[in-house]
Amino acid sequence: MDLKTEVLIIGGGATGAGIARDLALRGIPSLLVEKGDFTSGASGRNQGLLHSGARYAVTDPEAARECISENRILRRIAPHCIEPTEGLFVSLPEDGPEYRSDFIRACGKAGIDALPLSPREALALEPRLNSRIIGAVQVPDGAVDPFMLVVENARDAESRGTRFLIHTEVTGLIRDGLRIAGARVRDRITGEAYAIAATWVINATGAWANLILGMVGLKIGLALSKGSMLITNTRLSERVLNRCRPPSSGDIIVPNDTVSILGTTSLRAEDLEHYTVTPEEVTFLVDELSRMIPDVKGERFTRAYAGVRPLLQLGEACDDRAISRGFALIDHGSCDGIEGLVTITGGKLMTYRLMAERTVDFLCERMGLHVPCLTHVQRLPGAGLGNALKDRLLHLRRQTPAARGEILCDCELVPREAVDAILREGKVRELQDILHRTRLAKGTCQGGFCVYRLLGLLNELRKAEGSGGSNVVLRGFLEERWKGIRPVLWGTSLKEEELIESIYKGLFNLAPEEPGRPGGGEA
Amino acid sequence: MTKAEEKPALFPKLPDVCVRCATCMAACPVSRVTPRFPGPKQAGPGAQRFRSASEASVDDWIELCTGCHLCDMVCPAGVPISEMNMMAKAKYLDERGRTFRDWLLVRSDLFGELAARFSKIVNPLMKNGLLRWLLDALLKIDRRRALPGYEYPTFRRWFQTRPAVPGITGRRKVAYFYGCFTNTNETDVGKAAVELLEAHGLDVIVPPQRCCGIPRLGVGDLKGAREMGRRNIALLRPTVRQGIDIVFSSTSCGLMLRHEYSRILNLSGAEELAGRLFDICEFLLRLHEEEKSTATFLPISLKAAYFAPCHLRSLNIGLPALELLRLIPGLDVGMLEADCCGLGGLYGFKNEKFAIAEEIGKDLTEAAARMKPDIILTDCEGCRMQIRHLTGLKVLHPLQLLRDALNRT
Amino acid sequence: MKRFDLIVIGTGLSGLTAARTAVDMGAKVLIAGWGMGALTLFGNTIDLLGEVPPETDMAEGITSWIAAHPEHPYARTGMAGIENALTDFQGLFPPPYSFAALGSGNSLLPTGAGTMRPTYLIPVTMAAGAAMTPPGTLIVGFRGFKDFQGDTVSLHLKCRGVSLSLPRYGLEGLTALALARLMDEPSFRERLGESIRLQMAGERFIGLPAVLGFRNPAVVLKTLEEITGARVFEIPMLPPSIPGTRIFHHFREMLISKGATFLMGHPASRAKVKDGRCEGITVQNPPLATQYRADSYILATGRFLGGGLWAEMERIVEPLFHLPVFQPGERGKWFGERFFDPKAHPIHRAGIVTDADLRPVDETGRVVLENVHVAGSILAHHQAIEEKSREGIDIATGFLAAKRALAL
Repeated sequence: MDLKTEVLIIGGGATGAGIARDLALRGIPSLLVEKGDFTSGASGRNQGLLHSGARYAVTDPEAARECISENRILRRIAPHCIEPTEGLFVSLPEDGPEYRSDFIRACGKAGIDALPLSPREALALEPRLNSRIIGAVQVPDGAVDPFMLVVENARDAESRGTRFLIHTEVTGLIRDGLRIAGARVRDRITGEAYAIAATWVINATGAWANLILGMVGLKIGLALSKGSMLITNTRLSERVLNRCRPPSSGDIIVPNDTVSILGTTSLRAEDLEHYTVTPEEVTFLVDELSRMIPDVKGERFTRAYAGVRPLLQLGEACDDRAISRGFALIDHGSCDGIEGLVTITGGKLMTYRLMAERTVDFLCERMGLHVPCLTHVQRLPGAGLGNALKDRLLHLRRQTPAARGEILCDCELVPREAVDAILREGKVRELQDILHRTRLAKGTCQGGFCVYRLLGLLNELRKAEGSGGSNVVLRGFLEERWKGIRPVLWGTSLKEEELIESIYKGLFNLAPEEPGRPGGGEA
Repeated sequence: MTKAEEKPALFPKLPDVCVRCATCMAACPVSRVTPRFPGPKQAGPGAQRFRSASEASVDDWIELCTGCHLCDMVCPAGVPISEMNMMAKAKYLDERGRTFRDWLLVRSDLFGELAARFSKIVNPLMKNGLLRWLLDALLKIDRRRALPGYEYPTFRRWFQTRPAVPGITGRRKVAYFYGCFTNTNETDVGKAAVELLEAHGLDVIVPPQRCCGIPRLGVGDLKGAREMGRRNIALLRPTVRQGIDIVFSSTSCGLMLRHEYSRILNLSGAEELAGRLFDICEFLLRLHEEEKSTATFLPISLKAAYFAPCHLRSLNIGLPALELLRLIPGLDVGMLEADCCGLGGLYGFKNEKFAIAEEIGKDLTEAAARMKPDIILTDCEGCRMQIRHLTGLKVLHPLQLLRDALNRT
Repeated sequence: MKRFDLIVIGTGLSGLTAARTAVDMGAKVLIAGWGMGALTLFGNTIDLLGEVPPETDMAEGITSWIAAHPEHPYARTGMAGIENALTDFQGLFPPPYSFAALGSGNSLLPTGAGTMRPTYLIPVTMAAGAAMTPPGTLIVGFRGFKDFQGDTVSLHLKCRGVSLSLPRYGLEGLTALALARLMDEPSFRERLGESIRLQMAGERFIGLPAVLGFRNPAVVLKTLEEITGARVFEIPMLPPSIPGTRIFHHFREMLISKGATFLMGHPASRAKVKDGRCEGITVQNPPLATQYRADSYILATGRFLGGGLWAEMERIVEPLFHLPVFQPGERGKWFGERFFDPKAHPIHRAGIVTDADLRPVDETGRVVLENVHVAGSILAHHQAIEEKSREGIDIATGFLAAKRALAL
């Protein structure tokens, strides 16, 4: 099964999906391959912050202006992926009043609305803030659901003819002399290998950019930075809370759906696939963020996770189109003499659309097309549909059980019908895909109860297909879950874990697959 | 032995201590009879994660919680589930507004005195089919539920007008909080309480008092409940300051005065009051245990079943009434093993909840059928009404049987 | 002030066993617990030591286990102590709803994940599960009952499975307790039996979720077996556990009828300790804190889940008596890198170390509190989850603790 397309996009993060949509809106055919599910990389492993740009106002005015401009665009095109929480930049006595003044001035210059608040006003808005604060500034920060944003971009592109292949990895680039003419790919679930021919190949793999470039002997200056974050069980605040000081580690708390995300650390990473959140990072985040909200000590965390950010270290003598210090668009034709290959990397979730726009502008220029970008005006397909936090509760509210439906996930109130709908759509290929597309397993027990139920539902389908049973998927889930949970096991989360372990290892007698254990594992 | 104490300094954020273990799902009397109530795990700490003070409530099933507290009792993590439900219910009903029925029912204390005075007219009226039909149709007060009859003179009037008890002066004083129902509907419970306390060598006083406010709490009217609480704290303060213990014979009034005034309503003076309050059976039992009483009981040959009301369990004082009843020689008394009678105070009177209350009560009916007692004893007036309704058996407050068994020689 | 002979802190199986043993010895007992304990979560059968292979005689298996694990709680009770305690437990459950070993060793029973699990004493409602053969077995699940996934069980066990819609409910939102309560109704279980019979294709065994009645499980079992002509068995499932709740209520009712004082719902928050002895405990029910006193105390508060142990960020503590807790080093070492680490997570070995009489000791082996005995899973040096020894440890140490406490 070989395929052919005009533009092949590698990477199903925000940038890749954004490019796919931009191309589709301009009528250029494309195909996107992603080795995992959407947002498997940094797009799905960040804080879910809708930046106002205020964070960069003092240190990087250009990035700040980009952010506030994209912030306004996203509010317009993707209101359903956003919770407009507002944000506070909070000054503690040690942060001093000088930075606060600089900050307010810089926000003004960058065009970011910044409303100074007295300590009393700030505490009235966020009562859990440290009462020692000397002031706060309100800015238009917010929360964004990155997964939904990416899937919505993909959905829009798909409705315009773009094809998306998830769980499909690039195994090599097809070279035709000094030109890249496509890629060889492999389906990671079926193992099927085939080629995709393309006029242009866009390397939108973020931190993985050099992995793709290495296939044709190329390399760009890219450092990897690991950032770790903690998730609370319930919201700590209604607004994004930032420390009003020069950007540093452990200075932000973002409300996200039912939880809050605390971040972040910044450590050099070597390995893209294997990295963990260390106990030291966890202790650091708890200590540092408890300065802003004292309750952070004693708070219940349900999970920790880390993402790897690609940091650009350009500066080679090369005519790259570094549009911003934040991201880079590299035409390997002009740069390395290899035509048909473009790398777009660096940047942040906030600028995904801008990165896509610049990439497609470049392609159009090369293709000799004069089609304007539409992504900043055309709303995403789900815009206008409600997606507020309360919707799931509203669903439960319906009194008759038939209308309410069976609730698979008690913590996040995910009804069975939501999963049924995803299965009917036929896009998901493994358990984690379902978990990405719902809030299943994202609540207090982190899937301890609902994944058993979800697998029961999947087994119901498999029984219909006549296939046998296996607990391999369940074991795999529990191992994946463990990575996130292990760093936060103390206090109530540790109690929770004793419960879950007692269920799966005790009650259900699931064991590591080893021979000779009495009754262990499958019958 | 009991003293008031401040709340622990570090009280964890409410839903955070829940480990989702579902023990409460094995105890909730409502979710086991109707799928309309998703159960304490979901309605309490589950839904709490979705609630926000600044947004309108949407979970109207919160009204189906009877406030029995059984979930709190069984929770291995200490989640105050019913308190969460109460707060959510209060917010929901504050926003939605309460019905005229609720307005009327929670003021039974005001009408009670009047109704008692005219009980000869009122009582037949409340059995009148047409009136009941009207109440049902207009106010949704279920006509299948017998309304309690009124008695005159009221307990308070009886107490104030009875002849002086000889030899009472100089005895240790004890104050009695009788509650509205005893005052106007079941005066014999109050008379039994007074007789028993006096037989135990005490001088009973009846300080001025108002409805404890628990009916208002039941409809989430925190403001109204707080008002009742403030009045009672003020009315009882002189008694408390004189170092006189106060006993109650209604477990629901007792729970309200002793715990909810402080725990839910956060009233000043509540802790001081709580330190002086005792369940009357707890109080009497202690006199026996400390051998401070010479009162003894004569044999009664009866098979009795004792039912522990939910709110008694929530007091967490064990089963003092059962232990006292065991002091009656010849009385064959066993536990009526059922979790909850189902009435839930005013809950079971409401048309839309009648079926739920009936279904919950079925467990109790079956337990009674297995035991075949001559009589059922329980400390709560709501439970007594419901058990009479469910079993048709004679149902008394344990005090009444204890009084009958008193050795008066 | 009222004084008890013994105060048991904890209403799990170890505390209940201790209280029951003490009451039977004629003691005046107070039992106080924060909630219902692990019985209502995982209590189904009585595990003794799942590590012992099914073909091995249990007494021999445990004896050699004790020899190899001299610090294990079983080394305190000895095999004889375990047997006495188990006999006592069995005496509490006379037929028809009784617990028995099916042979001299462990039996394998099917679970809600479709695995087989070793266990020792089995309630009559689960016994047939050990005899079932996949081709002759029908697994029955209920639509809308999410805590037992019948298809998962039948696919894994390689037998036939059906999902039934239930009369009256049949839809969604069904809880285990609601189902068990329905089963107690004769007409309901008869109708259910009929609908199962219609689904059968010559099967000799029928597996159902463990909800066969709350009050009358043996009667429910008998009805279903009579109607279907097959042997019926319950399969343990996600918490809450109805079989465990049955055990809990049975204990509670027995204790109350024998005059024990049963307090549930509020934690023993503080202990008064003087000169190496406990002089009273405080039970909090805000705004009140009530003190209770006894000659002797048994600490049976469970592990982390039960609140017997609490993990701060840096160390593990026992919050009531502040007893020394045996524990692995810093937080990073509490758990292995994988959920299914070949070795049990080091934290599971944490707990209270005792002398031979189950009194808590410090690092030097010195008894910390003379009149406090420790029972159940809070004890150090076992791995109940992996070993499958939860109920055995609870019953054996609860029994021994009461004997020792009252022998003072």
